[in-house]
Amino acid sequence: MSFLGYIRPDGSVGTRNHVLVIPQGLISKSISDFVVGTKTIQTVDHGSGRTADDRERVARVLIGLGLNPNVDSVVVHAASPGAGYPELAAERLADEIAASGKRVEVVDPVKEGGIYRAIAKGCQLARMMVYEASKLRREEVGDEHLCVGVKCGYSDTTSGIAGNPAVGYLFDKIVNAGGTTFFGETTEIIGAEQAMAKRAVNPEVATALLDAVAHREYLAKSTGLDIRTINPIPANIKAGLSSLEEKSLGAVYKAGTTPLQGVLQYAERPKGKGLYFVDNWMGAYSIFVGYAAAGANLVMFQLGGGGMAGRDLLEGTPSVVTPFMWCTANPQTYEMTGDNIDFYSGTVIEGKEDPEQAGERLYQTVIDIASGTLSRNETMAYNEPIDLYLEGPRF
Amino acid sequence: MNHDAIVIKESDNVATALHDLPYRQQASVGIGDETITVMLVEDIELGHKLAIRKISRGQNIIKYGEIIGRATGHIVKSTHTHVQNIESLRGRGDMS
Repeated sequence: MSFLGYIRPDGSVGTRNHVLVIPQGLISKSISDFVVGTKTIQTVDHGSGRTADDRERVARVLIGLGLNPNVDSVVVHAASPGAGYPELAAERLADEIAASGKRVEVVDPVKEGGIYRAIAKGCQLARMMVYEASKLRREEVGDEHLCVGVKCGYSDTTSGIAGNPAVGYLFDKIVNAGGTTFFGETTEIIGAEQAMAKRAVNPEVATALLDAVAHREYLAKSTGLDIRTINPIPANIKAGLSSLEEKSLGAVYKAGTTPLQGVLQYAERPKGKGLYFVDNWMGAYSIFVGYAAAGANLVMFQLGGGGMAGRDLLEGTPSVVTPFMWCTANPQTYEMTGDNIDFYSGTVIEGKEDPEQAGERLYQTVIDIASGTLSRNETMAYNEPIDLYLEGPRF
Repeated sequence: MNHDAIVIKESDNVATALHDLPYRQQASVGIGDETITVMLVEDIELGHKLAIRKISRGQNIIKYGEIIGRATGHIVKSTHTHVQNIESLRGRGDMS
């Protein structure tokens, strides 16, 4: 019940040891391209022209990535279009990350004498940070330091029968060891929310969950459309899922059986350990970075895939600083794209294992990857750009 | 799950195919520790559902022991039960 991780000054434990450069933009991308061992965020959501709530969300993502235990040290540049707003000022981002005891340096083109010089300064700083970070060694730590986020997608009925129950077993094991788990996708618990609310640790958490679902269903109805024209997506329906309720009831298996400790906003960090629901949407290019900003040190995509054809190569789905795993229970998906898959539980469909046995194998795979084995996705240089989950109007 | 299809909870009225099931063959359907056999009247692809008993128009479709939708027509035992004969009851902006 342990893995090998990097212990941070605040006591959190990383599964990786990156130097982070934020926010998005030319300076960060240039530094990240030049200096090995660095990560940066690529998104057009810089906060400019957004409401204060959404700007705070952008800030939560950036600060959260800096605080993530997989990050050793951080360079913050001051040339983002959003940096003029107080929420997104470089000094604010830097101060909140530095409160964890990490080294954080601000690079300001005005002080440095322009963008070229800011890039040069950032490269110098980041190179020394990477060098210093490389001196840190992994140490054996307990599973209470695991924090895992999951999304299920391209779902089909193998997801509800085998793939999600295996993840649910993993989640129970992590939570019972004192760790933390995240699941979400508010649209995709419509139809399963009453059973989930009964698992809440107190009435406030149950109400928060039901309110989140009611709000999402209200938004769906206000479109005037049958939600089935949006979700389940065409690939879900092709693979046999008939309704949103069926998809949701299969989806919640990934949450295991432990009590629901709380409902978190996008990129919000939990106050305690255990199982948390995140009020987010289905988008893979948003959800994983939100989990990473909330403190996840490993994320996974439980893939159905029955409705997707010709996908022998799976594009990177970004979480910026956390290892990302692909899992599937669909034998046809595994045959099509097996070299992208870190964990296969189609054995349950094939009658070779029960979901608990598959879940035990998944746990071992998670321990290996948390301890330094690369996930298949980590061997690819390409990641899709990030779409932050912002809800307010744009002006 | 050494069956052709599986019923997840005993109260369910549909089973889920565990591999592609061809028309006119018999299929074994696992329900807990029991197995029933049905004669297939059409192809059922991996992951798709078949009715394990007659379902009348307007009756609920039950899977995982929960309501996943409502029958929009009369569903004969062992036929493909999917979007052509089930409608969702949630998020229906077209019905409000």
